[in-house]
Amino acid sequence: MKHAGDTILAFLSRGAAVVVVLMLGALLAVLFASALPSIKQFGGKFLISSEWRPNEVERPVLDAAGKIRIEDGEVVKETIPPSFGALPVIYGTTMTSFIALLFAVPLGLGAALFIVRVAPGLKIAGPVSFLVEFLASIPSIAYGIWGLFVLAPFLQKHVEPALASVARSTPGLKWLATEAITLNGQTIYKDVPLTGRDLFCGGIILAIMILPVITSVSRDVLKTVPRGQIEGTLALGATWWQSCRAMLKYGRAGLFGAVMLGLARAAGETMAVAMVVGNNNQIVASPFAPAQTMSSLLANEFAEAEKGLHQSALLQVALVLLVMSLAFNMIAQKLVVGKGGRTAASA
Amino acid sequence: MSAIPASNTPSASFGGTAESKFALRRIVNSTMFWACALGTLLVVLILVLVAGYLFILGLPGIKWSLFTQDPTGDALNPGGLRHAIVGTAQLLLMASVVGVPMGMLSGVYLSEYSREPGFWGAWLAKPVRFIADVLAGVPSIVIGILGYELLVVPLGNYNGYAGALALAFIIIPIVARTSEEMLRLVPDSYRAGSLALGATKSQTITRVVLPAATGSIVTGVMLALARVAGETAPLLFTALGNRTLTMDPMQPFPSLTVQVYQYVTGPYQAQKQVGWAGILVLIALLLVLNLTIRLVTARAIRSRT
Repeated sequence: MKHAGDTILAFLSRGAAVVVVLMLGALLAVLFASALPSIKQFGGKFLISSEWRPNEVERPVLDAAGKIRIEDGEVVKETIPPSFGALPVIYGTTMTSFIALLFAVPLGLGAALFIVRVAPGLKIAGPVSFLVEFLASIPSIAYGIWGLFVLAPFLQKHVEPALASVARSTPGLKWLATEAITLNGQTIYKDVPLTGRDLFCGGIILAIMILPVITSVSRDVLKTVPRGQIEGTLALGATWWQSCRAMLKYGRAGLFGAVMLGLARAAGETMAVAMVVGNNNQIVASPFAPAQTMSSLLANEFAEAEKGLHQSALLQVALVLLVMSLAFNMIAQKLVVGKGGRTAASA
Repeated sequence: MSAIPASNTPSASFGGTAESKFALRRIVNSTMFWACALGTLLVVLILVLVAGYLFILGLPGIKWSLFTQDPTGDALNPGGLRHAIVGTAQLLLMASVVGVPMGMLSGVYLSEYSREPGFWGAWLAKPVRFIADVLAGVPSIVIGILGYELLVVPLGNYNGYAGALALAFIIIPIVARTSEEMLRLVPDSYRAGSLALGATKSQTITRVVLPAATGSIVTGVMLALARVAGETAPLLFTALGNRTLTMDPMQPFPSLTVQVYQYVTGPYQAQKQVGWAGILVLIALLLVLNLTIRLVTARAIRSRT
C-alpha cells in the first residue's frame, strides 16, 4: 500500500510543476484576451502603423492645393477617431537594443576572454567576476536615476555635440543629426535639438545593464572549451589572440545564446529606459531624437489609459513584447543549456 | 606581468614575406590582448562610475528621519520613507509566502520526480524546466500586467495583493530552478540509504534530501528576494504606491522602488533628494545581502570539501 505522505507530496510537487506551465499559459491567454478588441480593430496594420493617438482630434480639412478650406467664414474641420499603431515603439525597442548590443557584445566578450584567459594568472578572476555580478544586482530604477541625473546631462554637454557635428560635416551621415519636417508641402531640414534623453542614451544605459549577463554567460561558455583545444592551437604556433579566436569559434553556439539573453533583457527592460529615452512616440532616423520603446510606453501610459481601445492597444503592445522576449529566451535556452552555460534563472 | 601572452617569435630563416606576415599577427595579437584588458577595465570603471555617482547623489539625504518618518505631504520638507520600506518588506513577505513553497515544490518535482517514468515523471519535467527558464526572462512589466488583469480588475482598485502576486510570479521560476539544481547536488547514496532503511519516498525527500540541501536552497531564495526587492515595473499597475503607512493590502500599497521613482521624476528638489537617498539605502542592502550570501556559500563549500 502506498504511504499517504507519498501521495500528498507527489500531488503537491506535481501540482506546483503544473502551475509553472499554467503561468505561461495564463500570460499568453490573459494578454491575448484583453488585447482582442484592438487586434480585431487594427489587425496586422497595428504592427506597421505609426499613428498613436489615444484621443480623437479635430483638424482643419485641407483642399487639393494644401490650403485650409474655409466655408461661410469658418474653417471646415474633420474629426479623426483615435488610432493606434505600434511601429514607433517597435522601432524604439529595436534601435535601443541594437545600440545596446553594439556596445555590450564586444565589451562583454572581451571581458569574458580576459576573465578566462588572463585574470586567473593575475589572481584577479574572482574579484573581477564579483564586480561584474554586482553590476547585475543593481536595480533597474537605480540605473534609471544614474542615467537621468548623470549620464544624460553628460551626453548632452560633452558627447552628443561632438558626435552631431562630426555627422553634420560628413557627407552621407547628415541624417544622424538632422530631421526632416514637412510643413505645408515644404520639407525643411533642421538640426535635432540635443537633450541627452534620447534613443542613444537609452541604448547606452541598456548596454551597461546587459553587460553583466553577456559577460558572465559567455565567461561560463568559454570555460567549457576543453583545455586540449587551447593547448592544441598554441602547440601549432598560434598566438594568444589566434587561440582566443579558436575558443570563440568553439563556443559560438553558446556565445550566440549569451547575446540572445542580453537581447531579451534589453528588449524587456523598462524603468531605466523609460527614464532616459525621452518618451516620444515618433520615428526619427537620428539617434539623438527622443523616442519610446514598447516597455517604456507601457510604463508611461498603462496606469492612466482609459479602459477600452487605448488600454487594449497597450495590451497588444505587451503581447508583442511578450512573444518577442519568449522567442529570444527560447533560442537562448536551446543554445546555452547543456553547454555548461547558466540558465536565465541563475544568470 | 607573466599573463601577457608571448607570441611565438619566428626565426629569421623564414624570409622576408613570412617575416612581415608574422609581424602583422604579432601586432594583431597585442592589439587584441590590450583591447580585452581595456574592455575589462572599462567594465570595472563603469561600475565605479555608477556606484560612485549614486553614492554622491544619495549621501546628503541619508538621515535617521528617512527610516522613522512617513511623507509629510509638504513638498519642501517631504519627510522619510518609513512607509515605503515597511511596504516593500510586507510585499516581499506576501510574495514569498506564495512564491517560495510553490517554487520549492516545483524544484522538488524537477529533481526528485523527474526520474520516474511516465507522464507525471520524466515526460512533464522537460517542458516544465524549459518553461521555468523562459519565464525567468519574461519582462517584469508584462508580469505586472498579468497581476493587473488577475487581481486589480476583479477587485476594482489597485491593491497590495496584486503587487505581491506579480512579485511571486517572478520568484517562482527562479526558486524552482535553483532549488532543483541544489537538490541534484545531494548524493544519490543519501536517497538509497534512506530508502534502504525503510523510509518512504516522501520521508526520504522531506527528512533526508531537503535538510541536506537547506543551506543552498535558502541562498537561492535570498537571491530571488534580492532580485525582486529592486523591481519597480511589476508594481506600477498592481500595488501602484501610497504615501501613507498602511497594513491593509486591499489598498494601493507603498513600495520603496515606486516611491523613489515618483520622487525622482517629480519636480521638487527636496523629494528628489529623498529618492536618491532611498535608492542608496536599497543598493547598500542588496550589496550586503549579496556579499553575505557569497561569503556564507563559499565557506559552506569549503567546509564540505
